[in-house]
Amino acid sequence: MSAEDRDIAGEYVLGTLPHADRIAFSARLKTDPALQSLVADWEARLADLNDEYAPAEAPDLLPAIEARLFPKPARRWPLWLGGLIAAAAVMVGALYLPPILSPDAPTVIARLGEPDAALRFEALHDGEALIVQRVAGAAPPSDRAHEAWLIAPGAAPVSLGLIGAEPLRVPYPDPPQGWTLAVSLEPAGGSPVGAPTGPVLAAGEINL
Amino acid sequence: MDDPVADLLIRCAAQDRTAFRALYAATSAKLMGVLLRMLQDRHEAEEALQEVYTRIWLRAQRFDPARGRGMTWVIAVARHLAIDRLRARPIATEEADYEHIPDSTPRAESRLVALGEARRIVDCFGTLEPARAAALRGAYLDGLSYADLANRHSVPLNTMRTWLRRGLMALRDCMDGQR
Repeated sequence: MSAEDRDIAGEYVLGTLPHADRIAFSARLKTDPALQSLVADWEARLADLNDEYAPAEAPDLLPAIEARLFPKPARRWPLWLGGLIAAAAVMVGALYLPPILSPDAPTVIARLGEPDAALRFEALHDGEALIVQRVAGAAPPSDRAHEAWLIAPGAAPVSLGLIGAEPLRVPYPDPPQGWTLAVSLEPAGGSPVGAPTGPVLAAGEINL
Repeated sequence: MDDPVADLLIRCAAQDRTAFRALYAATSAKLMGVLLRMLQDRHEAEEALQEVYTRIWLRAQRFDPARGRGMTWVIAVARHLAIDRLRARPIATEEADYEHIPDSTPRAESRLVALGEARRIVDCFGTLEPARAAALRGAYLDGLSYADLANRHSVPLNTMRTWLRRGLMALRDCMDGQR
């Protein structure tokens, strides 16, 4: 670790790092454990200042937040019926199937981009996580990144992370039917402002 | 050390939604306080609060209790989101807004000392020149940029940057020296 990095980590935590430097630093931070601990050290050093933030009553935004994160499945079997079916499935499974069914095989839940587009992405779900990967087209130039966003109807996009050579994997037990997935072109390291800043390269709706 | 917020974050990382509700109950007033003070706008703070908890849920796996306390981590998520939003604002708005920020420094400081907490950082702030300590607080607590702070203290931008970088170094030496 360099003394320079340690000082920059301090400015990053303080919040004063100039915009361009902040973008560059955030990008390095995502993959550099040494930098992450420098930042954690500064967060801990300055944490006592947090006592000066006076608590303010927050409205109960939990329903809205939960609706974003955990959308209800479109329909549900009555509990007893679900139980019966599950029990029957277990019996049938015990008789006929080898016991290797978890996690589920990934299924495609959204296609981002028209079928003939040069750049296309796909979202899959394996019962535990959402997986977003590039299926056609080139990786972005080295100073840019492909960032994936999840957009609830009428809500602001929420970043899921960056899509690199490896597929992006985000724990997400119940993928939300009808929500939009999009990929935008961002500076390396991702959008510095928590919202898309570059052009949308591909988008598609989740269809379970 | 007993850290109930850290326990809740660890359960959130394991997809425990009950823990997420408990986390909201335990931390939302504090995070609302952070966002209101930094963004100076209730509507935007409420919108940001939703985004903060969405991020907390999606990133809970990155929380490492060995590196710090749970409350410090969730406040960091809220502060960084607020700073990103402030920097994305047109500069004129930032300058217009900062006049409204109440300066609660002396009261808060004596309260911290009275609580027996944060004595170290308060002591170390005491070793800095008052104007530099005030600039550091304005940056951390209110999310002020170098430009805001340079205006406020009537010094050139580069001078302000030097103040804050040296201030951080002095704080670090002071605090690490007391360990």
